[in-house]
Amino acid sequence: MWLGLLAALPAAAQRPVPTVAAPAARYWVAFRDKAGQTLQPATYFDPAAQARRRRQHLPAADSTDFPVRPDYLARVRALTDSVTLVSRWFNAVACRATAAQAAHIRQLPGVRSVEAWPERPLLPARIQRRQPAAVPPADLPAPLSPASLSPAPLSPADLALARRQTAVLGAAGFRQAGQQGQGLRIAVFDVGFRATDTHPAFAHLYRRRAIATTYDFLRRTPDVYRGGSHGTEVLSCLAGQLPDSTFLGLAPAAEFLLARTEQQGSERYAEEEAWLAAAEWADRNGADIINSSLGYTDRRYFPEQMNGRTSLVARAAAMAVRKGILVVNAAGNAGDDPSWRTIGTPADADSVLTVGGLDPDTFLHLPFSSYGPAMGGRLKPNVAAFGVAITAVPGGFERVEGTSFASPLVAGFAACAWQQQRELPVMALFTRLQQAGQLYPYFDYAHGYGLPRAAAFRAAGQPAVLPDSTFDFMVADSAVSVIIRPEAAVVPAYSLPLQATVEPMTDALTAEPTATPPAPLYWQLRDAGGFITRYEVLEVSQRAILRVLLRQIPAGGMLRVHYRGYTASFNAL
Amino acid sequence: MPLLLALLLLAVWPRPATAQRVLLRADPATDTIPRRYGPNRNFYQHLYLGYTAVVGAADGPGAPLRYPQSGEVFAGLRNKWRITGATAAGLDARFAYLRYQLRQSSTKQVPTAQPHYRESLGLTQLQLEPFIRLSFGRRGNVIGHYLDVSGWGSWALSSNHSYEDRPGQGQGARTLVREVRPAYLRRWSWGLGARLGTGRYALAGRYRLANTFSSLAPASYPELPRWLLGLEIGVF
Repeated sequence: MWLGLLAALPAAAQRPVPTVAAPAARYWVAFRDKAGQTLQPATYFDPAAQARRRRQHLPAADSTDFPVRPDYLARVRALTDSVTLVSRWFNAVACRATAAQAAHIRQLPGVRSVEAWPERPLLPARIQRRQPAAVPPADLPAPLSPASLSPAPLSPADLALARRQTAVLGAAGFRQAGQQGQGLRIAVFDVGFRATDTHPAFAHLYRRRAIATTYDFLRRTPDVYRGGSHGTEVLSCLAGQLPDSTFLGLAPAAEFLLARTEQQGSERYAEEEAWLAAAEWADRNGADIINSSLGYTDRRYFPEQMNGRTSLVARAAAMAVRKGILVVNAAGNAGDDPSWRTIGTPADADSVLTVGGLDPDTFLHLPFSSYGPAMGGRLKPNVAAFGVAITAVPGGFERVEGTSFASPLVAGFAACAWQQQRELPVMALFTRLQQAGQLYPYFDYAHGYGLPRAAAFRAAGQPAVLPDSTFDFMVADSAVSVIIRPEAAVVPAYSLPLQATVEPMTDALTAEPTATPPAPLYWQLRDAGGFITRYEVLEVSQRAILRVLLRQIPAGGMLRVHYRGYTASFNAL
Repeated sequence: MPLLLALLLLAVWPRPATAQRVLLRADPATDTIPRRYGPNRNFYQHLYLGYTAVVGAADGPGAPLRYPQSGEVFAGLRNKWRITGATAAGLDARFAYLRYQLRQSSTKQVPTAQPHYRESLGLTQLQLEPFIRLSFGRRGNVIGHYLDVSGWGSWALSSNHSYEDRPGQGQGARTLVREVRPAYLRRWSWGLGARLGTGRYALAGRYRLANTFSSLAPASYPELPRWLLGLEIGVF
């Protein structure tokens, strides 16, 4: 083999190749330049990718799209055990090499840096607590071949949740406007898509050939229907369909790119590279949106490194956004982990739309959903959606928990929104998605701007309609009180359903079952720099809802309150 | 009775509106401060336990052992101070019970040639073990992969020679005899150690430099095996 390699690379044959006695480690080799390299965008990029760049007034290609210089690449290949990734975006390669080989590579012309590459797994942002399946396995039919598997029926409560997880985002509005992600390509990066190709929930995608392309970046094969089924569950929150035709996500009419970038369990080396490779692949293949329900936390990083600049995946995600791709990422499930608690990466990147998890019953933060802010006090998560959802799993459907599922729900929302206003640049869309949050302009580090709503997004192009005031600040002596106005203190009557777990039998296409969230009061204290030093959500049971001592408000800061769509601030002197 | 009346009055007395029910509360001013304590922070402390088996044979005839009954179980507290990202220093303090289960054979000489149904030498020790840790690979706030190199010393809180005879003396089905703190067993011991670990699991090996038997022991006693190899589990 060595002889063959040397014959194939004559430049390398003149160098002594160190023996591989020492253990090989991963290295990241960055090059200085791409001198002499060019690119024909029309041949390299998929037409969808070209169209995306044109729409967003981006150049057809820039130097980050140019290939890595082949002479640099050949020299590294000749000196190392293997090159595992070639990144155009970062003009770099990842390789396995011994320390001696790495030292040799540092001396090569054109090499800017050689860094030891960390080796830790990427964890799916799915929480391990799994609620019981709607139908016990014993009730399922005897084992069938995957193709003939018939999904088990859902309980009424699960069916209600399946409808609500999209209804609360405004599914009916998007649907009536014919916006279900048509013309958009969504890339899903995950641990595997087991049974996606045979599950009836996705049959409509295969019928219209909406799976544009697939690739397993770990095994280097187009077959992604192996490994874990986390990707199947995530995809179902974009485009899965129940037997009664209810869609579990908002973008069933989009096209999809499925990338396997993570190996469940023991894989320890390739995930972060695979994420980057998949992002470049998604860019080339015309993805408009990347959904990544994955995140690195304490196995590799410290919380203070969640700054959007430290991890490769955060930098790769930021680069993807520069290419005009909206990156939607789960916040993570470490909210109740005292040793981490904050968001993971790449959710920490500024330009990544980070999605937290909401409780479907209270519309409030789920305890496991990771908290912000990112380092430097930057707002994270950006928005939130249901962190408990009904998803397709091999053999049926299941209620699952995790911000993994909130992320694709919002990615589907973004697809519909972008379809509606196709010319929006990606960061303008990002801003508008935040503005569509139910809490906007209020935000906190648990909910971000809250649940995006289709109605709010549709209104975004028009002059903003200021909501009516729902409360007043009353200053007396040493404290400021928040008093809810009488007209906002009316609790709407609630009609009891016939049975508590069964939704009203209305037309499934138009129903918005229980889509109105309860109305608690949100308040926070912010310092002069805008950092939220304290925030709470209160159940409203009386009009005199809050009293804050003036000395508790940071100097130069403010008390900020949100109630029923209205946000107001009381500034400290 | 007056106390009961007072409680009753307190319960029915009209009170001003109480605070609203808090559905969510967070204090980023305090709860976003990075923790200084953790597996890869400046200082970390955790419990651990494990078992190491006696490996090898005595260096002469007369002390055949039974395996894997001969071994050491231990539990202790580990203190670790980070020096750099890849290096740390630490000090272990632990209780360890070391037992040499003597195989009964015609060649047995330790501690006597007398055969028994079951026989062992046991030492309950208090051990201290300073170590240097070399970690591999960049990592976050986790233990990661590591190699520890250590020296250790121990003091036997108690030692004994126990044996069981069947049938027992007189009418007994068996006779248990425990000879406490025999003079031929040395109470101080010391040696070197190494651990190769990942996360909470580690392969541990210890080599004893000190002799098992004191100068009061007969010269015919062969030195017992010096190696202990086994598994250690961190409790964190």
